[in-house]
Amino acid sequence: MADKTFFIDTTRCTACRGCQIACKEWNQNPATKTKNWGSHQNPEDLSFVTYKLVRFSEVVSGGALRWYFFPDQCRHCVEPPCKDAAEALGYKKAIMRDAATGAVLFNQTAKVKAKDFEQIKEACPFNIPRYAPTKMVMAKCTMCIDRVSNGLLPACVKTCPTGAMNFGDRSQMLTLADKRVRELKAQYPKAQVLNAKDVRTIYLIIDDSVRYHKFAKGQGPAGMTRIMAMNKLISPLMRMAGLKG
Amino acid sequence: MTNHWIDLANSDCILIMGSNAAANHPISFKWVTKAVEKGATLISVDPRFTQTSSKANIYAPLRSGTDIAFLGGMIKYILDKDLYFKEYVVEYTNASYILAEKYDFKDGLFAGYNPKTKSYDKSFWAFEMDEKGIPKKDKGLRDERCVFQQLKKHYTRYTLDTVSAITGTPKDLLVKVYEAYAKTGKPDKAGTIMYAMGWTQHTVGVQNIRTMTMIQLLLGNMGVAGGGVNALRGESNVQGSTDHGLLFHILPGYLSTPSPQWPKLDDYLKRRPKSSDPLSANWWQNEPKYMVSFLKSMFGDAATAANEFGYQWLPKVDVGVDYSWLSLFDAMYKGKFTGFFAWGQNPACSSANANKTRQALGKLKWLVNVNMFENETGSFWKGPGMDPAKVKTEVFYLPCAVSAEKEGSISNSGRWMQWRYAAAKPFGQAKPDGDIIVELFDKIRGLYKKERWIFPEPILNLKWDYTTKGRFDPHKVAKEINGYYLKDVTIQNTTYKKGSLVPGFASLQADGSTSSGCWIYCNSYTDKGNMAARRGLKDASGIGLFAEWAWCWPVNRRIIYNRASVDRFGKPWAPKKPVISWDGSKWVGDVPDGAWPPLANADGSPNPNSKYPFIMKPDGFAAIFGPGLADGPFPEHYEPLECPVDRNLMSSQFINPTVRVYETDMDKFFTCDPRYPFVGTTYRVTEHWQTGIMTRWQPWLLEAEPQQFCEMSEELAQLRGIKNGEKVTVESARGKVTAIAIVTKRFKPMLIMGQQIHQIGLPWCYGWVHPKDGGDSSNLLTPSVGDPNTRIPETKAFMVNVRKA
Amino acid sequence: MKVTRRDFFKISGATAAGLYASQLGFDLSPASAYAATLRIKGAKETTTICAYCAVGCGIICHTSGGKVINTEGDPDHPINQGSLCAKGAALYQWVNNPNRVSTPLYRAPGSAGWKKVSWDWALTEIAKRVKDARDQGFVKANAKGQVVNRTENIAHIGSAALDNEECWTIQAMMRSLGLVYIEHQARI
Repeated sequence: MADKTFFIDTTRCTACRGCQIACKEWNQNPATKTKNWGSHQNPEDLSFVTYKLVRFSEVVSGGALRWYFFPDQCRHCVEPPCKDAAEALGYKKAIMRDAATGAVLFNQTAKVKAKDFEQIKEACPFNIPRYAPTKMVMAKCTMCIDRVSNGLLPACVKTCPTGAMNFGDRSQMLTLADKRVRELKAQYPKAQVLNAKDVRTIYLIIDDSVRYHKFAKGQGPAGMTRIMAMNKLISPLMRMAGLKG
Repeated sequence: MTNHWIDLANSDCILIMGSNAAANHPISFKWVTKAVEKGATLISVDPRFTQTSSKANIYAPLRSGTDIAFLGGMIKYILDKDLYFKEYVVEYTNASYILAEKYDFKDGLFAGYNPKTKSYDKSFWAFEMDEKGIPKKDKGLRDERCVFQQLKKHYTRYTLDTVSAITGTPKDLLVKVYEAYAKTGKPDKAGTIMYAMGWTQHTVGVQNIRTMTMIQLLLGNMGVAGGGVNALRGESNVQGSTDHGLLFHILPGYLSTPSPQWPKLDDYLKRRPKSSDPLSANWWQNEPKYMVSFLKSMFGDAATAANEFGYQWLPKVDVGVDYSWLSLFDAMYKGKFTGFFAWGQNPACSSANANKTRQALGKLKWLVNVNMFENETGSFWKGPGMDPAKVKTEVFYLPCAVSAEKEGSISNSGRWMQWRYAAAKPFGQAKPDGDIIVELFDKIRGLYKKERWIFPEPILNLKWDYTTKGRFDPHKVAKEINGYYLKDVTIQNTTYKKGSLVPGFASLQADGSTSSGCWIYCNSYTDKGNMAARRGLKDASGIGLFAEWAWCWPVNRRIIYNRASVDRFGKPWAPKKPVISWDGSKWVGDVPDGAWPPLANADGSPNPNSKYPFIMKPDGFAAIFGPGLADGPFPEHYEPLECPVDRNLMSSQFINPTVRVYETDMDKFFTCDPRYPFVGTTYRVTEHWQTGIMTRWQPWLLEAEPQQFCEMSEELAQLRGIKNGEKVTVESARGKVTAIAIVTKRFKPMLIMGQQIHQIGLPWCYGWVHPKDGGDSSNLLTPSVGDPNTRIPETKAFMVNVRKA
Repeated sequence: MKVTRRDFFKISGATAAGLYASQLGFDLSPASAYAATLRIKGAKETTTICAYCAVGCGIICHTSGGKVINTEGDPDHPINQGSLCAKGAALYQWVNNPNRVSTPLYRAPGSAGWKKVSWDWALTEIAKRVKDARDQGFVKANAKGQVVNRTENIAHIGSAALDNEECWTIQAMMRSLGLVYIEHQARI
């Protein structure tokens, strides 16, 4: 009964990017060399040293201009397909789940081959895992497990000024998410939470998910996607391995 | 800010105009969000759809530089529909005052204009006085010559059609904004304005703010929780540095800089207007106590009654001569300075018409640059277009500590003075600025002690005992700023010992028996200790005043003009969010603007011991008619110096008639010139701060906003054949910059007087020193022309061209 | 200075990790494979106020061995309640920044580069120049013959980045030297 969950209310996000920088600061992740590519979203994508990224998108919805901000990060899936994929590829200790919180963690001492990493990444419905070829190590959001185990909020949640980022017991977060959706429904009929049952990072959005980010909503059946879906069909043994827990 | 950050949550309607608070004051949105989730309406008015706009209930675009037209239309709407708060307007503002015969307004000009001097004779804007010298009033507001009727007349021209043609804001959006905001005219509703440089950086900057102040007065929004006029100050201590007089025209505490019009101290002390009205507190009548106490802090024991407390040791500025920023760099460009201190500032990027500023630096004999990073000012001699061999300026670069490496206080936008501590020793050989100041002055004074040259008295007599064990001691200065008793003084049966700290400015004296470096900070460091260091979290107010957290000037009053938050009986207009209220014998709540009882007794009879709420005004009334400004008592729309239209629809007065332009070969302005067809504006991003010196060198922040960009509409991009992400050149009459195009739906072409007008915008946080591919300052484009009252440059509206690089 | 904490929350599962670990799929102690120790444990805490905009957010600096090892929002601060924007969150990298200039520098007339100099030399040389300029440029009376006692050929700008106490002291110094061209960020 691991029970920690993020609730990310994108309607409250102002793109101040406190979370993006606080994540870098806490994890002491270096900056990468970037260029302005015609967008304020920078770096352009998540990377081995960028676990948290605010994605920007301008859309016209019902004739009105909207500017959506999507603070992207690992969803800490309830049944993490990345872990299943890694284990199926023989990496028993590369990806773990924390018993207390449910955090999905990439072991920084586990070496993973580049081609295997590609499969693990493909398994992720949200396109989260990143890799350093020189170190042969994978990386992504850690749920600030060191902070959380010591009773501190994850850095991104603590730094958020408006209440866009929330973190706590799963039941509380689900209640909060439900309440916000109900509040917003009248004004925004498309208000919805994404993959709430299957993930520990629940986003609230008010428009079609692809208008925020291609991978905002899990691609393929949640918790069992792409490679995993294939694997599950072809190998009952693999399926057992994949569906434990 | 008349109010403070947390108070935003008390508002019923928040107008953010001339500011992109979500990006530039991001934590303000903690409180804005709270207000909105309680049901407040959030309005964003901006030429560009911003992060702030993305969270607003109503977004209205406008052409940069047309805010007075937009807000003048709101005044007309409020008056036409009778939505103003009548009791407040009658009792607390000068709306009922009768204007004297000479006042007039015709076709864009007020009475008293002199075209030769481009200035007004303000005696034309006087009130009619009764035999006691008190302004005549018509509390029915019906007299044709009363301020209220003149206001109505003045804004008759600001119809929806005309305003929309000037601003480009569609009429339905104007009405939507006006309607939503005017709802706060109900006694228990509060509306607030959050503005920043989007309002000040215009040739009509002060009048932009005055127009809104008038709206706030008409709606009864001053002094109340969730109301006020809130300037979002951009720098961590720009409030404090202004309070402490780092400007040519003011000494600490907003005391005027001496000038030959007051040759003797006595002349200076008698200069403030008197009030004949016993109900007017006319607080500035106390100025002699503040000035003499200031002189005692400056010159200590050397300041005596016999030598005018050292008044003659203070430099005097000439009457009518401007020594402000733009004039300073104009003088520097003309070679008038030998030496220059650029202390914690980067004018080579922050100054309008930065090319002129950079050239001006080359005319100096020596330059002292104090900073923590290499910057475009200290290194100007190797900048673009400079040949170091030809630049004769000597440059001294002094590295200073960052804030976390020293101890001291800063004052935030809500006037909260907050103490901070040294976490670590300074980097390398860097020193806290305080130490640099003390050590430098010790050396200068040493020279004057050895060899007495011209007028050494102020240097030798300056009180200068602010070190402990040879290091700058901020506590010693903080106490001096608060002030001491300099002899035993007995006030109302209490004796204060010589050497003890003065408890508050009401105790300061004009006879030399007290000192106070800055009277508005008196009460900040008392015998109770360092008030700025307090961390009490009790909030008895229920409206988020947090009176025990740090300290707030004046005398820990969290909302100023709070006596206007109650009716004549002392009952709050908004009973659910009272700032102060009268309990029959005393005020409860915030520290009131004076302890006097309410204006009316319980039986309705006037209380002769009371005072009017606007205690800093000579007459005690808030000024809907403001005769003190250079450009008129009512705000009037004029076009920016550089604009895309060839006439002003409001009058035949095209630009602000009191604007002064500088006339060197580098002061070039082109209006309605086909070479520069687009309206340009400048702004900031969350990740960088001002010229970027304190952010560009930080890899994390640079990673998020790495390069100079130029935002433009899809329509303009198509017109110029520019694709998103491509390099473009932006040019004005004064300079050019290279930037990356961000083609966006957030800028839209506007219909202005039947013509399609495009606007573009660039941030001003980049510079050539670092990063190498980051681009240069957008202030290379901006004009060196300023508001006639403040001379703050018009960097928010100017004309440019943009093309593929 | 007293720091209390309001951002701690209960880890309801932490005490019962053993129980959960008995469930399939959870690893007993994955944190040990990560950096399990909190890097600010035992660090000294100092409060500061953010150096950027004028909201005045509270920040805690964690120091260890005299070095700032972490900065984050002060949860007790009534305005920001622990939150920070991108700039505030990056304060750590402002303090710990190898790009900072570590010594005084001097650039001679016509020179193409900087030279490292000592504080004593730099301040002595500046003091001489200030005195020379003042003595040459001091104006006792203006064109109308009115007493003005001012130094017209030295100008000063800055700074809103200084502390209040430094602002007051620098205005005292500059005014005692007779400067009238004193300006700063508030004007632009």
